[in-house]
Amino acid sequence: MAVKIDPDKCGHIENCPVQGLCIKLCEQGAIIEENGDVSIVPENCDDCDLCIQNCPNQAISKA
Amino acid sequence: MFSIERSGEEHRKLAYNSNKCVGCGICTDVCPTSSLRLGPLVPIARGLIEMDLISVNQDSCVFCGLCSVACPFDSLSLSINGEEIKNMSNYPKWETESKVDDDDCMYCGRCNEICPRDSILFERHLPNPADLVRGEIEINKEKCIYCSFCADMCPAGAINIKNFPTSSVDVLNNSIEVDLSKCIFCGVCKRVCPEDAIKQICSTCMLREEIEVPEISGETIILEDSCVNCSWCSEICPVDAITVTKPFEGKLELVENEADDKICKGDSCHACQDVCPCNAVTIVDGKSVTNLDFCNLCGACVTACPQNIRVLTRTGMKLTNINSESWNEILNQLLAGK
Repeated sequence: MAVKIDPDKCGHIENCPVQGLCIKLCEQGAIIEENGDVSIVPENCDDCDLCIQNCPNQAISKA
Repeated sequence: MFSIERSGEEHRKLAYNSNKCVGCGICTDVCPTSSLRLGPLVPIARGLIEMDLISVNQDSCVFCGLCSVACPFDSLSLSINGEEIKNMSNYPKWETESKVDDDDCMYCGRCNEICPRDSILFERHLPNPADLVRGEIEINKEKCIYCSFCADMCPAGAINIKNFPTSSVDVLNNSIEVDLSKCIFCGVCKRVCPEDAIKQICSTCMLREEIEVPEISGETIILEDSCVNCSWCSEICPVDAITVTKPFEGKLELVENEADDKICKGDSCHACQDVCPCNAVTIVDGKSVTNLDFCNLCGACVTACPQNIRVLTRTGMKLTNINSESWNEILNQLLAGK
């Protein structure tokens, strides 16, 4: 099912209060940094929802 | 850490000690003005964000002190005119405790090793092993050829041979010493010596009546400041010298709902394990397992779980002396669980 990121809400690493908290939280490698922005690798997502729960901008939701 | 104060007829001050806080959120649950906020538990627990677990809105806080009496970990304290309400006779009190019975403690130190909060100070004085064995040993340095058989075989590691490199072969540049604090006069060295250079007598058996019964003394102290009453110490204590009174009675369950895809993701997530102040959570076969023996039912894991599948049921709490009806109503909501 994976997750999706609302680009309008997302801090895109640079403006994220924790510079990409979702990337740091996801231990499955389902959210990665790509060209300075946040990128989702759906096949790695385990639907644990840790990123959804903790995104400081509430930018992540179920895909 | 924060400290806010307000002066009127009384001077009231609310102080937060982040070192004691476990992020359970009980204070935020009871605050009647929603002035306390719980920060991002998991990122803080993982060290991704450095901030206090609790923050306060000092404009809306009414300094009632409910949070401070509800906190089972003494992380918040409200004082009125300089006196903490927890020390006042008409305010509620937690009857939680972890204590060591000095008469029963044998100073093995297992509690000190296992405590998840590093809350146990422990020191012990062991007898000198050399005082418990008797004997004599002598090495004839004229006969010794420094072959090292004795040192290599010594079960106590008590023989020390040094061979100093020199330009010519010269026995004077070798040395052999027996460390009498380690030697147990077992005689292995004597038996293995090819040159019959070692004389040894063990008199431990003959003199056993004279050898004092060893006494092990020490001190074990549980630091109230950081102890969360998880009871690891009392469970591990081999002589039942530690008693723990936990803040709550009840249970914590994992209630999965496969239809809604609300299932524990175990190793991918382990948020519960990271925030648990009691080290009571482990991931077994891909699922979170909570050992209730060590859980203090604080509820931090319930808040941290992104699947929202942890159900906490508190059936009793050790908060006593609640004299106000409205406080009783609010504080008893903690028993409803979450």
